[in-house]
Amino acid sequence: MPDLSTGVVVIGGGSTGAGVLRDLAMRGIDAVLVEKGDLASGTTGRSHGLLHSGGRYCVNDLQAAIECVEEGRILRKIARTTIEDTGGYFVSVTDEDREWEPRFVEGCRQAGITCERISVEEARRREPALSRHVRTAFWLPEDGHLDPFFLVLANTESARRRGARVMTYTEVVGFSRAGDRVTGVRLRDVMSGAETAIACQAVINATGAWSGLVARLLGVEVRVVPVKGVMVVLSHRLAHAAINRCHKPGDGDIVVPALSVAILGTTSAKVPHPEVLPIEWDEVRRMIEEGALMLDGVTTARAMRAYAGVRPLYDLGAEAEGREMSRNFAVIDHEVRDGVKGLTSIVGGKVTTYRLMAERVVDLVARRLGVGNPCTTADVPISDHDDSLDQLRHRPAQLGVPKPHSGEHPLEPLLCECEMVRPRDAAPWFADPAVRTLEDVRRRTRAGMGPCQAAICSYRLAARLVTDRGLDGSQATRAMADFLETRWRGVRHVFWGSQLRQAQVGTGLQMELFNLDRQLAIDGDRPETREPRLPSRRPVPAEARG
Amino acid sequence: MMTEDFEPVTDTVEEQAPVEACTKCTACNTVCPVARNTEIFRGPKLLGPESERFRIPQEPSVVAGLDLCSGCKLCEVTCPSQVSIQTYIRRAQNKGARERGRTLRDFLLGHTRLLGTFGSLTAPLANLGNRNPLLRWFMERFVGIHRKRPLPRYQFLTFERWHRRHPRPVRARRKVAYFYGCWVNYNERRLGEMVVAILERNGIEVVVPRQQCCGIPAVVNSNTDLARKYGVQNVRLLAPLAGEMDIVASSTSCGLMLKHDYSHLLDIPGAEPLGARTYDICEYLWMLHEAKELDLDFQPVPMRVLYHAPCHLKSHGIGYPAMRLLRLVPGVKVEEVDEGCCGISGTFGVKVEKYDLSMKIGSRLFAAVKAAGSDAVLADCETCRMQVEHGAGASSAHPVEILARAYGYR
Ligand SMILES: Cc1cc2nc3c(=O)[nH]c(=O)nc-3n(C[C@H](O)[C@H](O)[C@H](O)COP(=O)(O)OP(=O)(O)OC[C@H]3O[C@@H](n4cnc5c(N)ncnc54)[C@H](O)[C@@H]3O)c2cc1C
Ligand code: SF4
Ligand code: SF4
Repeated sequence: MPDLSTGVVVIGGGSTGAGVLRDLAMRGIDAVLVEKGDLASGTTGRSHGLLHSGGRYCVNDLQAAIECVEEGRILRKIARTTIEDTGGYFVSVTDEDREWEPRFVEGCRQAGITCERISVEEARRREPALSRHVRTAFWLPEDGHLDPFFLVLANTESARRRGARVMTYTEVVGFSRAGDRVTGVRLRDVMSGAETAIACQAVINATGAWSGLVARLLGVEVRVVPVKGVMVVLSHRLAHAAINRCHKPGDGDIVVPALSVAILGTTSAKVPHPEVLPIEWDEVRRMIEEGALMLDGVTTARAMRAYAGVRPLYDLGAEAEGREMSRNFAVIDHEVRDGVKGLTSIVGGKVTTYRLMAERVVDLVARRLGVGNPCTTADVPISDHDDSLDQLRHRPAQLGVPKPHSGEHPLEPLLCECEMVRPRDAAPWFADPAVRTLEDVRRRTRAGMGPCQAAICSYRLAARLVTDRGLDGSQATRAMADFLETRWRGVRHVFWGSQLRQAQVGTGLQMELFNLDRQLAIDGDRPETREPRLPSRRPVPAEARG
Repeated sequence: MMTEDFEPVTDTVEEQAPVEACTKCTACNTVCPVARNTEIFRGPKLLGPESERFRIPQEPSVVAGLDLCSGCKLCEVTCPSQVSIQTYIRRAQNKGARERGRTLRDFLLGHTRLLGTFGSLTAPLANLGNRNPLLRWFMERFVGIHRKRPLPRYQFLTFERWHRRHPRPVRARRKVAYFYGCWVNYNERRLGEMVVAILERNGIEVVVPRQQCCGIPAVVNSNTDLARKYGVQNVRLLAPLAGEMDIVASSTSCGLMLKHDYSHLLDIPGAEPLGARTYDICEYLWMLHEAKELDLDFQPVPMRVLYHAPCHLKSHGIGYPAMRLLRLVPGVKVEEVDEGCCGISGTFGVKVEKYDLSMKIGSRLFAAVKAAGSDAVLADCETCRMQVEHGAGASSAHPVEILARAYGYR
């Protein structure tokens, strides 16, 4: 018996799934999004955060470049609050880079990308951190920082307001079929293990690098190759604009200023499974060395953590039919290709082009459902939610200072000082049932994303679980430990200099002051404290490990 | 030459680390006298290294709250990671003032030499005016200087002119250059005279080079640009001397600027060697003593004195040489009042909106001074002395005054 019935189930809460959900909702199609983790906890939340002007693709993949140009302009209209309009530079460092330049300029021209050559002196005046290796510079005002998490949240919120539903920490574990038609999905609550089912007319598989695994549940094949990319986060921006190497796209050639940090990236290596993402010291070192060619201060700045994402690289080779094709992404119509009615997959692409991807796949699904309403996502702004990126970047200004003698209330103490998160910034999320872990609170507030990597805010956040959520002490301690564990996974790759000293301070605080590990051992004997747990180390299938 | 016979008491100030070094340990906040006394100040950690991460040179500076930092530098002294907290705060403040324009008060308080020249030329009048309630009302209303804050008295004869007429000693073992600073020049010439007398008594010729204001008043009044200009002038005037002789300063903050802030906070080229040869007067005298060169032929001075260590002295990283020196003088009973910052921090406590806070910060010290009931409170820093006199009604003096008396100077 289905517990719920809807028009379309969207699997995957990354940028693609969120975009699809909003598009469906705006066309008046009833839809439910299911995501096995938190929103944007897959590739989207682990991407580099560059709003591509298209400059990176204009030589090798003109089509992709054109899509970026167009979508970038649309996003600046509809999703302004999730973008930092920084602009970007493409800089040449070596002789080979210089040879790339004419092709780059021509590519920009063909794709319609605004690109201006400026003198190195001028570039350095605007970006004093440009390294002495830089020989030429191009200014591409349409590069920017697109915050993937807030983009997803804005989309799902917009969809929710139009009646769509979002279920996080809910994994699709199977499908129900009637003959050659998919009639629903079987779900499992990741936290409690409880199983439910949804009946629907169509399913959109927007699980990115997981698409193949999800399609396999129905016995059909989607050939995505998971390709890992490693990024290193530095503790402050270094530059105000995005800095790209002007050369054939390669490793470590982009530095994205993202709010209060700079992100160096990225690499590219095939991995056996989307959840097997080891980070090698060599990769971290390479990011820093390459970044230092373009920007001064990369080697001396504090590396806060390293993380890896997995690209859903779609293997075009084997696919021939049933596919509206772009070289950038693919819509796979399983009815045509595999004879499975009601299933469509959307794979590949970028965060930058998520809206276009959604439009394409929903065009197809709507047609199948007999809904004639056209796509309007390019025209209707995603209404602003509270934390626009601009506000986040200007947090110190918002903290303000009450005037002496004015009788204003004294300063609110902060939850997270590094990222300047006030209790009132976090309070709504503690009240939101969709927020299940402190990691989810982090995504929504940035608490714990600064240099100390939650060493200090973790216990304050854990305390809020007691006051706002009614958890008992042991449960809150467990949640704090889980949160620290997720931070630790990124931090341990950059253990040198300041971050090593930082870890020492954090460890002292947690282990010596809070006696955290022993407390966990004591609490561990009490079964009720095992819940709620972060679904952290999800078991990786045996065949994937090999 | 001096450096050969002397080992400095300690390495004055430590290397400074970049903003990245901050480990968020919060030690700085726990010692900040302002943060401890008001709930509207975010404290050094947030306004220094934390905010620094969000500062973007290409965007206007966020200055809210920065003016509440008094500039005492206790945070920097305490930071186990040597983060240049003050540098971040002052630079951001200066940038903000550049962008928004500077206030009349900032201008006046930053230009002590201008005020001093004017004040000393019109000394009797200026002093009268500074105590005239009506004028003080106007100053509070239009300049923002609190009416209850006693202002320094100006003297007609400046130290510079006094020294020009002062006869050089006939024979001297060595020479030392004296950075007297605005305070001695315009307000307390006697202190300068005593410094000269003490040094001469020890066979040292005191050279008084041309000099500019050290710049600290400008630093704490949102104008590191001006401070830098002064610093550059001072480095030009003093660096050549530093090749030949040591430099002493009798004002704690002037000394700190020369020693440390010219090269670190203000990034002035060539300031490092000058700083390396600059000493606080008591530090210098103690070094003489360690080299067995200090004349110990003291007359007893039967006095019970309290010693208050100025915050900026702590930044020198030299301990309390004044205490050690005073213990050499027979009759003197010296005790430290360890009650933290006096609250005035130069021009901070002068301002209308900060006066009460300044008095609150100093209240622990005032209470301790009153309870102790000693003959005088000694402090190396002139504004500390003003504050203790004002807040505790005690009499105060620079420590060298006791030494001068012990040498028979009247
Ligand atoms: C290192 C790296 C850097 C990148 N940088 C950029 C960039 O700078 N700019 C840019 O535009 N693009 C960038 N990209 C590309 C971009 O991040 C991705 O193409 C995009 O995020 C894909 O989004 P998605 O929604 O398709 O996939 P995902 O974000 O991975 O979403 C799929 C979701 O499905 C969920 N899921 C999987 N299986 C199930 C199941 N059985 N049940 C329920 N849910 C399930 C997963 O948990 C996941 O959250 C980058 C990619 C990588 C790897
Ligand atoms: S200099 Fe003094 S007042 Fe300013 S932040 Fe540091 S400790 Fe506080
Ligand atoms: S004392 Fe130093 S390291 Fe500790 S929080 Fe303050 S600035 Fe950071």
